[in-house]
Amino acid sequence: MDAEIDSEESVGVTYIPVARADELEPGQRKAVELNGRALVVTRLENDYFAFSRYCPHESADLMNGPILAGKVRCDNHGYCFDLNSGECVLPKGADPLTVLPVEERGEDLCIRIEW
Amino acid sequence: MEYDLLIRGGRVADGSGLPSHTADVGVKDGKIAGVGRLSGSASRTIDAAGLVVSPGFIDHHTHMDAQILWDPYGTSEPQHGITSIVMGNCGLALAPVSDGGEDALVKSFVRVEAIPRFALEKGVTWGWHSYGEYLDSLEGRLGINAGGLVGHIAVRQDVMGEESVERTATAGEVQTMKGLVRGAMEAGALGFSTNRNERHMREDGKPVASRLADNDELYALCDVLGEMNSGIIETILGRNKMEHFDIYHDLASRTQRPIIWQSVHHRWAEPTLWQEQLDAVSRIFRDGYRAYGLSQTVPLVRHFNLRNAQLFDEFPTWKNIMFLPVEARLQAFADPATRAKLREDLATKRLTNFHRRWDIVQVEKVAKEENKRYEGKSVAEVAAMRNQDPVDAFLDLSLDEDLLTTFQNANTGGDPQAMGEILRSPYVLVGTSDAGAHVMYGADFGYGTTLLGLWVRERGIMTLEEAVHKLTFHVASVYGLEGRGLIRPGYAADLTLFDPETVRAHEPEWAEDYPAGTKRLIQRSDGIHYTIVNGGVIYEDGRLSGDLPGQVLRGAGYAPSRAAAA
Repeated sequence: MDAEIDSEESVGVTYIPVARADELEPGQRKAVELNGRALVVTRLENDYFAFSRYCPHESADLMNGPILAGKVRCDNHGYCFDLNSGECVLPKGADPLTVLPVEERGEDLCIRIEW
Repeated sequence: MEYDLLIRGGRVADGSGLPSHTADVGVKDGKIAGVGRLSGSASRTIDAAGLVVSPGFIDHHTHMDAQILWDPYGTSEPQHGITSIVMGNCGLALAPVSDGGEDALVKSFVRVEAIPRFALEKGVTWGWHSYGEYLDSLEGRLGINAGGLVGHIAVRQDVMGEESVERTATAGEVQTMKGLVRGAMEAGALGFSTNRNERHMREDGKPVASRLADNDELYALCDVLGEMNSGIIETILGRNKMEHFDIYHDLASRTQRPIIWQSVHHRWAEPTLWQEQLDAVSRIFRDGYRAYGLSQTVPLVRHFNLRNAQLFDEFPTWKNIMFLPVEARLQAFADPATRAKLREDLATKRLTNFHRRWDIVQVEKVAKEENKRYEGKSVAEVAAMRNQDPVDAFLDLSLDEDLLTTFQNANTGGDPQAMGEILRSPYVLVGTSDAGAHVMYGADFGYGTTLLGLWVRERGIMTLEEAVHKLTFHVASVYGLEGRGLIRPGYAADLTLFDPETVRAHEPEWAEDYPAGTKRLIQRSDGIHYTIVNGGVIYEDGRLSGDLPGQVLRGAGYAPSRAAAA
């Protein structure tokens, strides 16, 4: 997997391709491994999301967790996470889900990493 | 024969907390028949020289309600010296239940306690209705002793059906529930449990039934125990809030029964919360009432390096860098401007799980020989040795070793001084094994072997006798387990023989011993040589005997004739 780094002063940005732009139909998911971490990439209508494959509560697999209204639900204990922010919305205040932004760049679907 | 079993020359820590002493222990008809210098004949003699002889440990916080139906030993309980368990915690129980109501109970166990549905469907045979019938179904089928609490979720479901997860109860329904609680207590339940945890839902996403109960209902059901002068009231009210202590005070004062609340832990992120909780609960005891907090002995230690760490995911800059390829990560960590951002990230005022204390993060293993001197040191100590800022020391050491330096960190249970005060507190019950639950996510059967190995032998936070007391008679006294928890003539011969020099819990490991080969985590131990239940040796140097000497533990309210009439 290639990474391109654009450092501007203290900020770096890199885009890591994880799928072809036309690969995911709406509602479809893809399991990816990104530098040792398991993620799920999904398309909801025309928006893309990437989130940690394993629930922060007890590490249940979220690959098939139902997604509704921009939230993924863990099938184990019912914890729900906002896919934009990672915030746990049910129950409120529980540990957040790790999420990363996804962008289309040319023919690729890329995870954007900025620091 | 004068004795069925004679245990010779062990060091007897009798559960009282008094100093241990060398003595023989004679067992006859499942009871302790003598303690001291004994000379009578025996069917079997065990040489206990070098071992501690203690009462069997009592695991008071389990969810074994289902597992005990297919596994009479509740493994891995005997492997850790546990001879008695209490089930039915957190409002969850498998009775009372009416025909057709079984699946509603399963839904709660599956979701709240993470017990695989497949295992429950294969392993739970049902066939009972009342709580007494459930307890009766265990008679003659137990390797360890088992008692239970009648769960609010089951009681509510049985009276209200599906409306139990949708609305408050009517006065008539509360009266019917009171009758079920009374019936369960008369059938031998050890108490009543309830659950208001905002995180606890059924498999279908609906709240567990007890969360819909208002205070009038909760108090009315607990009043039954007060009226009967029997049993404990076990609660889980959700995220720790100081106002919960008002509820504990109300419940304890109106019923005069012991309240069990969850929970008190040491967390580096909130390092004084445990002290505030113990101060709050001491006021309840000072007023003459009882409200015991549950605690845990097992520190949650994570091992990581900067190739795999997830510890920093709650800090955006750290998180994002950890998703970079290793080469890019090395560059980023070396960049001074990025380091400034990383420091800024850690300075957030938000409450985070990671405590951000470099005196607690330790270097566990280095990759290069020349860095050996750092092993076992905290990052703060390494920083002092290198005359650096801790963040720089942490990153520079990792960079020098290609991000392969292994660190360890504990967000909870890592402060010996705090852990000592918590675990020694007379207001704290030691042990939250959750045995029988979360079976694919953890296994804390070894809370007792961890107390004896880590906290007594290695860190010396209490005496061995104090620890044995906390694992035995302290629990028996709170739960009203008459005739158990002490090594005294006439007491049940529930005994554990362990080597104080080696006792410890292993890391959990996978087994496929749940119904239909379902996977789950078990836990082995070192140093537990014999586990004896009602005089029968059930575990001996790594092997289970196959015998079933366990008994159903019934509470002081047990009145079989009334329970049968009901």
